[in-house]
Amino acid sequence: MTTLITKTITKICLPLVILFSISLLLAGHNNPGGGFIGGVMFASVIALTYVVYGLDHIKSFFNPDWGNWFGFGLLLASFTAFSAIAFSHNFFRSAVEFVHLPFFGEVELVSAGLFDIGVYFVVIGGLLSIFKNVGDDK
Amino acid sequence: MDSFTAITLAVFLPFILAGILPAIEKLLKDKIGWYASAVAFLSLLLVAQAAPEIIHGETIQRSIEWLPSLGINLSFYADGLSVMFGFIVSGIGVIIMSYSNGYMSKKEDLPRYYQQLLFFMGSMLGMVFSANTIQLFIFWELTSITSFMLIGYWRNRPMSVYGATKSLLITATGGLFMLAGFLVLHAITGTFDIPTILHNESMREMIHGHELFLAALILIFIGAASKSAQGPFYIWLPNAMEAPTPVSAFLHSATMVKAGIYLIARIHPIFSGTDAWFFLVSGIGIFTMLLAGFLAFRQTDIKGILAYSTISQLAYLMTMYGYTTYHEPGIGVAAATFHLLNHATFKACLFLVAGIVAHETATRDITKMGGLRKEMPITFIVATIGALSMAGIPPLNGFLSKEMFYEASVEMGALLGSPYNILIPALAVLGGVFTFAYSIKLIDGIFLGKRPSKGLPEHIHDPSMVMLAPAIFLAGLIILFGLVPSIPVHYFIDPTVSGILLEETQLHVKLWHGFTTSLMMTIVTFALGILTYTQYGKIAEWQNRFNARFPWISVNYYYDATVENAKKVTSKFSNRMQPGPVKTYVLALLLLTIAMFAIPAILLASSLIPQNLNFDIPLYEGLIFMFMIIAAFGAALLPRYIPAILALSGLGYLVSLLFIYLQAPDLALTQVLVETLSTIIFLLAIVKIPQKFKEHVPATTLTRDLLIAVTVASMVFILLINANQGIIPPFESLSHYFIEKSLPLAGGHNIVNVIIVDFRGYDTLGEISVLCLAAFGVYNLIHSRGDDE
Repeated sequence: MTTLITKTITKICLPLVILFSISLLLAGHNNPGGGFIGGVMFASVIALTYVVYGLDHIKSFFNPDWGNWFGFGLLLASFTAFSAIAFSHNFFRSAVEFVHLPFFGEVELVSAGLFDIGVYFVVIGGLLSIFKNVGDDK
Repeated sequence: MDSFTAITLAVFLPFILAGILPAIEKLLKDKIGWYASAVAFLSLLLVAQAAPEIIHGETIQRSIEWLPSLGINLSFYADGLSVMFGFIVSGIGVIIMSYSNGYMSKKEDLPRYYQQLLFFMGSMLGMVFSANTIQLFIFWELTSITSFMLIGYWRNRPMSVYGATKSLLITATGGLFMLAGFLVLHAITGTFDIPTILHNESMREMIHGHELFLAALILIFIGAASKSAQGPFYIWLPNAMEAPTPVSAFLHSATMVKAGIYLIARIHPIFSGTDAWFFLVSGIGIFTMLLAGFLAFRQTDIKGILAYSTISQLAYLMTMYGYTTYHEPGIGVAAATFHLLNHATFKACLFLVAGIVAHETATRDITKMGGLRKEMPITFIVATIGALSMAGIPPLNGFLSKEMFYEASVEMGALLGSPYNILIPALAVLGGVFTFAYSIKLIDGIFLGKRPSKGLPEHIHDPSMVMLAPAIFLAGLIILFGLVPSIPVHYFIDPTVSGILLEETQLHVKLWHGFTTSLMMTIVTFALGILTYTQYGKIAEWQNRFNARFPWISVNYYYDATVENAKKVTSKFSNRMQPGPVKTYVLALLLLTIAMFAIPAILLASSLIPQNLNFDIPLYEGLIFMFMIIAAFGAALLPRYIPAILALSGLGYLVSLLFIYLQAPDLALTQVLVETLSTIIFLLAIVKIPQKFKEHVPATTLTRDLLIAVTVASMVFILLINANQGIIPPFESLSHYFIEKSLPLAGGHNIVNVIIVDFRGYDTLGEISVLCLAAFGVYNLIHSRGDDE
């Protein structure tokens, strides 16, 4: 599996794919993409590095607890869902705000976007913790 | 701040502040208990904020829309009853959490302990302020769960686990009965809202005359009885004593076990004034009162004695709330409410003392104790005040409510006529006699008499003020309520009773009111109590002998048998249902799918293949289809694993290509990514096993599998071509709605994503929760295999 070619390509791909996954996440409200797709993309590129370089090697310098990731994501998503109640709206009511920022022009802030970020983290954390556990199993 | 906000905050703040407790713990280290008591105190202040309005006889009610389509809202309702409970819960909460600072050793897992205590307090407050039966049920079960965790706090003691499981099984099952009762009530009235029913005369009368009246009453009562350890459900409370003592004091004497009593008081206006109410509630109450009072004799564990006494005291409350006739719906309500408040003070006080004694002597066995009055003078005084109040000695508050109980019993008996006019007061006195006996036993066994020569540590002394102050405070309350009964009566009892009876009431409780029948009964109680106490040891011995001879005359025996058998039955069941090979599961799934599709298709469809199908396939599509078919054959037929998996992934990529061609970028992206990931995982797992199929498949199996595969495939095919024909009336296509509303309602152009995060956000929340659970499941699967080998 791990030839020099795959290693090199993985190295080049890794930052690009991560950036792409974040852009997918942020663009999701109006363009193709969203939390789930972004999350799966991020997870698959990390999984690829695990496969190509070997779990143990990667774990020696990059070993986050993926469980915390999905915990955080679930918390964020639930928080977004319930926070609408604090503003005495219905459960899950989303709010839209257009903000004008320098450099970026019109930026649309949607509370559903926060929910999407929660989904993103859950997907990454869930998939990678499964992946790591299966891979760790001797 | 208006009262509604105050109450909402009082309910939710404990949850939120418990959530950040681990972070606070990093700062405060082992002083974290004071933070928890501060949170409880905050809730107490917030409840107090709402109290003045209630004392003036108003009620507070507001709601936030939750599920308007089902008529379920997040709504809070505060009247005298709920505010009194709110005070008891948060007040005792402050006391208990302060006390825990002295009781819990610094080596324990303190954050977990305090977090669960706060969660419990929040659930309990939420329950008493709920205006909606469904919401009440949710908080009710939350208290069951937190109780389960707190009883099982010491996870590695088998008895703790046993007690926790028992309490959860019994109380949670009771809660489900209660939910069923609420649904029946909803079927009768058409509303989940409690105040609506309470304040609606005609609706209450309709309930009384309805044929489902008895069903609703019995179902709700089972819930209440299981929570308050009444009748045959009493068995969980003695085992709950495995919890740390502060937990027992908080949950299993002062608050959680009163949830059932609260429910009885809450539905009192709806169901009372009927024979069924009296016989069910008072009948079970009197039965439990005598049984638990009698069973307390054989306990040697001081917490065990307190547990049985709690059961019997709760039964007093049940009995009093049950006293009712058609013209006088609430004879015992005032007495019950007053006794409820008093019981919270003296029982919590006694539990704190039990905790102190166990902490100092390192044992809870009353037979090993004695003569501690010299070494622990302050504890001795506090304990005596608590126990004498429980026994009903003047001038303490227990005496007052006991008098009211006797009064109500006499009145009830008189209203019912012979033979009840003798029977009910006699049974009440008998309950009082038992109470008197075990109260005295507590003091005598621990503090009086001679100190045993061995078994106790050398130097025993009064504990630090951290543990003593809460108990002294409660003892002070006992004396205060006894000497100046007008304080609790004015602030708590009057508004509560008015709320239950739905009319203004003014009670006059005095310490001395001349020689009445009830005073006579009290004197008789004392005389008989002293007489019984002289025979205490003999009675206990007789009970032990009886139990040894007839082990099957006990509820515990049946509980244990049921649980043991359940284990056997479930293991048989799971051996049958979970044979192991994945193939079997897939087979079962597919067969079920076929059945579920075939039955309606045969019954309803005129023809399976729709008319006027569109047969012109563009070349590009045709090519993709052809490759897909080849890939599918490859996945099924290739003799080695890796090529077969690659063929399967190829099929997946072709599907995403098709999605792109059909202009569905979101789907295509997702498909590509998921396919990639699953391929990687597949390959990871597959390199660890031999690369060739070794097993020989017999021809019959092959034919069978082939048949199933063909059937499923043709079924899906038929479904799809039918779906393509457009939507069958009366079902409309939903897509137009989403296309129209996506931008104005949710501000997004990407309809797929807007559906996921907004229109169907709740589904997504459920799905990501499932994903988290799956991750945990895999973790457990991988890590639990080592234990079996």
